[in-house]
Amino acid sequence: MIRRLYHLWPDPKLLARLWSLTVIQAVLQGLLLGLLVPILHAVVRQEPDIAAATPWLVLGGIGAVVYGLLAIVSDPVGYAAGGVLAAQLRKQLMRHVSTLPLGWFTAAHKARLARAVTADVGDAAHLAVVIGNPVITSTLLPATVVAIVFVADWRVAVLLCVIALVGSWTLRRAARVSAEAEIELERAAADVASRAIELGQVQPVLRAAGHAHGTPRMHAALDRHRDTYREGMDRARRPFFLYTGVVATGFVAVLALVAWLMVSERVEVATAVALLVLAARFLQPLGNLIELIGALRAMTNKITRIEEFLATPVLPVPAEPVRRIVDPHVELTGVTFTYPGGEAPALREVTIRCRAGTTTALVGPSGSGKTTVTRLVARFFDAEEGQVRIGGVDVRDLDPEVLLNDMAIIFQDVYLFDDTIENNLRLARPEATWDELREVARAARLDEVIERLPGGWNTRVGEAGAQLSGGERQRVAIARAMLKQARIVLVDEASSALDPENEAAITQAIANLGAGRDRTVIVIAHRPATLASADQVVSLDAGRVVETGTPAELLRTGGTFARISRQYERARHWRIGTVS
Amino acid sequence: MSTTTSEPRTDSVPEPAVGTEQGPGLAEPGALARLFAPIRSYLIACGLLSALSSGAGIVPYVAAAEIARVTLSTPSVSAAAVWTWVGIGAAGAGLWLVLMVQSSRLGHYADAAILHHLRVRIVRHLGALPLGWFRASGSGRVKRAMTGDLEEMHEVIAHALGQLVGAVTVIAVSGVYLFSVDVPMALVVLGVLGLMTVSYRVSMRSMAAHVNRLIAAEGRISAASVEYADGIQVVKAFGTGGRVLHRFDEAVNEYAEAFAAWVNEVRHSSAVTRLLGSEMAVLTAVTAAGVAFIAQGSLTGAELVAFLVVSVGLPASIIPAVSGAQAVRKGRMGAANIERLLARMPLPEPERSRTPDGHEVEFDHVSFSYDGTTCAVEDVSAVCPTGTVTAIVGPSGAGKTTLTSLLPRFYDVTGGAIRIGGVDIREIGSARLLASMSLVFQDVSLLRDSVAENIRIGRPGAGDEDVREAAIAAHIHDVIEALPQGYDTPLDAGGGGLSGGERQRLTIARAILSGAPIVVLDEATAALDPDSETAVQEALARLAVGKTVIVIAHRLHTIAGADQILVLDNGRLVERGRHDELLTRDGLYARMWMAQEGVTA
Repeated sequence: MIRRLYHLWPDPKLLARLWSLTVIQAVLQGLLLGLLVPILHAVVRQEPDIAAATPWLVLGGIGAVVYGLLAIVSDPVGYAAGGVLAAQLRKQLMRHVSTLPLGWFTAAHKARLARAVTADVGDAAHLAVVIGNPVITSTLLPATVVAIVFVADWRVAVLLCVIALVGSWTLRRAARVSAEAEIELERAAADVASRAIELGQVQPVLRAAGHAHGTPRMHAALDRHRDTYREGMDRARRPFFLYTGVVATGFVAVLALVAWLMVSERVEVATAVALLVLAARFLQPLGNLIELIGALRAMTNKITRIEEFLATPVLPVPAEPVRRIVDPHVELTGVTFTYPGGEAPALREVTIRCRAGTTTALVGPSGSGKTTVTRLVARFFDAEEGQVRIGGVDVRDLDPEVLLNDMAIIFQDVYLFDDTIENNLRLARPEATWDELREVARAARLDEVIERLPGGWNTRVGEAGAQLSGGERQRVAIARAMLKQARIVLVDEASSALDPENEAAITQAIANLGAGRDRTVIVIAHRPATLASADQVVSLDAGRVVETGTPAELLRTGGTFARISRQYERARHWRIGTVS
Repeated sequence: MSTTTSEPRTDSVPEPAVGTEQGPGLAEPGALARLFAPIRSYLIACGLLSALSSGAGIVPYVAAAEIARVTLSTPSVSAAAVWTWVGIGAAGAGLWLVLMVQSSRLGHYADAAILHHLRVRIVRHLGALPLGWFRASGSGRVKRAMTGDLEEMHEVIAHALGQLVGAVTVIAVSGVYLFSVDVPMALVVLGVLGLMTVSYRVSMRSMAAHVNRLIAAEGRISAASVEYADGIQVVKAFGTGGRVLHRFDEAVNEYAEAFAAWVNEVRHSSAVTRLLGSEMAVLTAVTAAGVAFIAQGSLTGAELVAFLVVSVGLPASIIPAVSGAQAVRKGRMGAANIERLLARMPLPEPERSRTPDGHEVEFDHVSFSYDGTTCAVEDVSAVCPTGTVTAIVGPSGAGKTTLTSLLPRFYDVTGGAIRIGGVDIREIGSARLLASMSLVFQDVSLLRDSVAENIRIGRPGAGDEDVREAAIAAHIHDVIEALPQGYDTPLDAGGGGLSGGERQRLTIARAILSGAPIVVLDEATAALDPDSETAVQEALARLAVGKTVIVIAHRLHTIAGADQILVLDNGRLVERGRHDELLTRDGLYARMWMAQEGVTA
């Protein structure tokens, strides 16, 4: 535990320094307790001998002052260390994340990242500082006390050792059992949580069905939670009681042993009294250990989460990467790929050739692998079998930076930084002239949007581009891609209902994008106009390429593409209320 | 219970447990007590047991001290007296253990009972709230009330109660014992503890301000990490990683600075608190004062021993009270949140539900305002006769969605009335009202249940054959059959392996099964999933047959055949009529039509 905690931090020396201070304090505290033996010897008698106690008292006084100074020094050191460690670990985590493949950035991972860099790191740092202290004190102080007791009376010392051993065995068991019970409790709680979400989402349906007061399943989940909870708590607490029992029994045993030693006059009364005092000081911190278990476990969970992040493999980079893309010819040869954790391959032996300067439209039902193709080209993931080549070079041999420099990705959920429109475009090429900006804005049909915005080019787009509609954001992204003069452009055309103006604008903008002579465009097409203007259509189904050809050819052959086109036509002529 | 941790028994220093700590003040006093009312007797019993247990826990220490006293007060050791005290110590330890187990059992029993009780209460209350509340607050709020808020309250029973009661008892019992042994020495101990309290207060004085600054900085760290991750494609594609990372680093540094500032400000007071709260402080004070008093002759060695055994452990006993108090503060906040939720006005239900005569829907001078100042819908009047299609169109923000959500009483009108079959919808019981209509919106909501049950909920008690027929009518039967367990395939909240359009059709099957005479639908629903758009469209068409249909339309050509088109602008009804009539009028509708046809033609 301590070792894992230690290795987690970029600069663990800070912790080492802090902990060594704590170690000194704990041992010093034990030794000062030991001074009670001679002091009590001197004063616990009919005629107290203060003179005999004085040297010990002076020594104790000096020790206490040293202890106090150490405490005052180590306290701010500890908290300062906590702050520094948290900052270092946060930066390290973020640096690591920035080297991960794009495919890693799923919604779930993003949410966990936000939690990891805030609460998890903060709490781990906090715990590293405040837990280290009591853990060290609760173990080293009793150890020192036992050593001193050994000098005074070996029998009591042996008894204390036995208590400590039995105690530590019970404690370990308690931690394990409660961890198990906690998993069960967590499962029951998760069930309640997801039922709660369902309750919120499906409320109108539930009410219409007469389940306004919750479905039977909801109530079953609540009942189950109550039962699991009671059972789990009972089970989790049992070893804790056992541990407390061990400590309590230990105390009584020490009392009895010391009483016997004293009554049978095997030790002096003064020694016996000192032993009692020491035993009390030994057992109390031991008893407190149980309180630390919960905190330690919570910390283990946090540390595990952080470690998982740091252990996520980064995108492999070749030792001697190719640093130039000669021409933007994109080629997939026999590519098979399965998503991490997925069962069936998302792509099977897919071969697609996109000649430089052409536009390729990907079509197919959802789940057919269209998006996966674009993700592999952009190296969100690496293919298992087969090769993805750009300009004849395997993407795995390319310098990732070079690849991304020559590529623009326009996905459905376009992300804009909370900045002005101008700056969001200039990201692509900071030194672009105003003429160039206006030119791409016009080509992407963004000029109309800018005209309408209150601040024109200087309008801030709001966090994540919330001020603009989805279609407008996509137009920004298209303009950005044009400005970047990326030679490979991947587009996932907006599929959801767009207002008519945006629909026309985006179709036009994508066509303009494809018009660039040295630009290879791969577009996941949802609109007939986009399909019609493509140089090549690749039709996918269940991860396989089923058709390839020009739109005209495919319409003639009457395969999947022809069927989809007919569906588009039918959908366009759909009317509500005109069905017989 | 994922975040349930017992606070470490550590230092009473201001802790940087940021993110969990929030300012108090929001908590209404008494919310905790009111919500705990059903288990009050349990809690009292639990507290009593916990107090008795803590009291008994001191007995072994007292026994140790007394053994020293009896052996020292008489020149010859009295074996009987010593063994008596060993016996008392053993009894105390035994009692301590037994009472602790019982108190904990009782606490957990009551804890489980109250969690259950409150959850049921929340579920029932939610069932009576206006549906609009769910739209605005979302299921996140429901989840928080059912889990997070409750868990913070649970902490109060599970740990805080015992910690507080235990600490108070230990201090009280030890105090009484120590004062009975020697008053001046007891005062010395009290003095050390008093100084610790004062110093603790000093160190916590500026806590709120510092914590707020830390929370703000943490918010920025979180925002920057989210921004980085969300914009990762842009970040990587445009090489702007440095800039965003810079923002992240700044936030991290700001946090570290804020933290350092806090540490720096309280460095002395917190170190002194920790020092005074350590066993060493009490030990030193007791030994020094004790030896002095012995030298004076006012104290015996035996009495000093009593103090060494009993008083040195006192600081460690107080510390749980600090974390207990923090837990109580959080519990109060959770309780206040829950009470606020339970205090929300339920949707007014009629005393006697009236039965509508037919299914004609009438909007009679309907106005509605979300905030009480600006009207989202203003003075809209229209009649949707039984068996006809009424389309609602207009630019975004015109009030289309608001108007349709008034019909199922997501919100109640603020002016005018909506009637079904001549009866004001506020006079129809909400279960009956909702059962009379099918709502098909863009956001699909599925039960975490089997596919069959997800359809069946449209008409509870419907036979398997009816469920299949509805599925066939909604063009989803084949998809269901292809699932691993067919109709018995369990769906999670996200809809399992179904695509958006398939989930959509599942809810349409549900609506078809219900046979509700009124259908309210959002036409964009059909365009959600381009791959199964036609199938969804056909399913919707099947659903609409013979019903009173009210449809929010975005693509005008889909509603060109509607019996009546209501054109909304800025919440007002600006035009009404059939497609051809509206075109000749050359108004807003005609302009919208031209704009669209220009695209799709």
